[in-house]
Amino acid sequence: MRPLGAVLWFAVIATLVLFMLGPLAIVVVFSFNSGALVSLPLTGFSLDWYRTLFSSAEFWAAFQNSLAVAVPTALLATVTGTMTALALTRKSAAASVPLLTALSVPIMIPPLVVAIGLVVLYVRWLSVPLGLGAVIGGHLLLTQPLVALVVSARMASFDRVALEAARDLGASPWQAFRHVTLPQIRAALVGAALLAFAISLDEFIITIFTIGSGNTLSTFVWGKMRTSLDPSINAIATLLLVITIGSTAIALRMTRYRG
Amino acid sequence: MTGARMPSRRLRAVLLAAPAFAILAVLFAVPMLLLFVVSFWRVRNFALTPDMSLAAYARVFDTYGDVLVSTMINGGLTALICVGLGFLFAYAARFRAGRWGDALILVAIVTLFGGYLVKIYAWKAILSTDGFLNAILIASGLSAQPLDTLLYNRGAVIVALVHFLLPFAILPIYGQLRNVSDIQIEAAHDLGASGRQTLMRVIVPQCRTGLFAAFAISFLYAAGDYITPRFLGGGSGSMIGQFIAQEFSTRFNWPAGAAMSFVLMAASLLVLGLVGALFVRRRPS
Repeated sequence: MRPLGAVLWFAVIATLVLFMLGPLAIVVVFSFNSGALVSLPLTGFSLDWYRTLFSSAEFWAAFQNSLAVAVPTALLATVTGTMTALALTRKSAAASVPLLTALSVPIMIPPLVVAIGLVVLYVRWLSVPLGLGAVIGGHLLLTQPLVALVVSARMASFDRVALEAARDLGASPWQAFRHVTLPQIRAALVGAALLAFAISLDEFIITIFTIGSGNTLSTFVWGKMRTSLDPSINAIATLLLVITIGSTAIALRMTRYRG
Repeated sequence: MTGARMPSRRLRAVLLAAPAFAILAVLFAVPMLLLFVVSFWRVRNFALTPDMSLAAYARVFDTYGDVLVSTMINGGLTALICVGLGFLFAYAARFRAGRWGDALILVAIVTLFGGYLVKIYAWKAILSTDGFLNAILIASGLSAQPLDTLLYNRGAVIVALVHFLLPFAILPIYGQLRNVSDIQIEAAHDLGASGRQTLMRVIVPQCRTGLFAAFAISFLYAAGDYITPRFLGGGSGSMIGQFIAQEFSTRFNWPAGAAMSFVLMAASLLVLGLVGALFVRRRPS
């Protein structure tokens, strides 16, 4: 009975892990395959798809745009999210939970609805041109609540005695933050920023609605997906996976996230 | 902590929270309000005209009633599968995998953020007629010729959505399973509870919020998605989001797109409310 149960559990877990990682592994493996089809048998190792990608001016333009969106998004979201978290420390759960929930509403409703709302605002009421700035605005909505949640979690285990001591000894609020709070929460801030960066880089729906013209990496991938099964998608997908998973993994280490 | 410092501390908190909430107000609350207003407008001669019309809502139910129902079904099925598999995975990570438990959760976290489009694309490559799965089926002799029925249907959409959402379902369930103490489980065993009784009476009741959160996240996201059905769904797998995008950006019928958005959100909340009510009522006291 016991060994049978163990075998059964092993089979269940192995199947689920295969289901979760398999599709991603296929993309990575086929990015190094010389054939144009994502199908067996493998036709041989090749870096051609990466060469095609790296020699494409469109790809580099999309890459630049992605950075031009994701870096400011990460920085701004980290500032506004952290400020919110600081404002909510020492507040009771009854006061802070509704505020954090309100801030999180944009990540709970369909991104499509957020996107068309933004288009109506930008185009019809503000007459703001669509473009990278418009995309950053949308991405801030998605990322600042996550930063606020991550930093709030960190502040919950924050040692307040040193802060009180600094204030009692005459430090201004800014000095106390700069020299006492910041060093303690720095890792969480970097982690939160990387998380925001990864989310912005991966985000597609708000981007495609608000970018106007031009591409980010995700809309670039979408263009290729729609036209054909262009195998250089495997290469760009692998790059995106490495960047987003890499930055998420570092972020999780830094914020010491455990489930 | 003197009385004189209290107001300034409160003011500082308000000022600190101001930027984030200003962004929320200007880029989210105001647009939602505008969208709501626009949902009562009309399109005349390709121009938006202010109105107090319910035409857009009538159009949603006349034209898209079936799609809306089908969307709720797809979302519900996706969410149920995510909760089921998510619980299995989280349970295994917590109670069965021993020292591999952390590695399993790492798998879930790592697959959480990377590649929304990449995952959809991967499923197309796996399920298409000349794709990966067909190659395996033929090589293993399970099928004589490639199956062209794997893609462009409801099943393909649900498989891809489950794949995308499973990590989002696993983490809240695992978060609560971690708090279930081993002592309680051993006590249940010692008092003669079967494995099944321990599961249903001790473990599941303690992760109800996690299970509901997993359902809610998966359902909301699946019901609101439009890229997965558009890319993998074909006719039988189409969902309301595709038509919102179509009305809004291809036909420039903003009132229709806006009305459909609010109907979608209202229907989603209704489903979640019903599921939540069932969930609460079944709680053993």
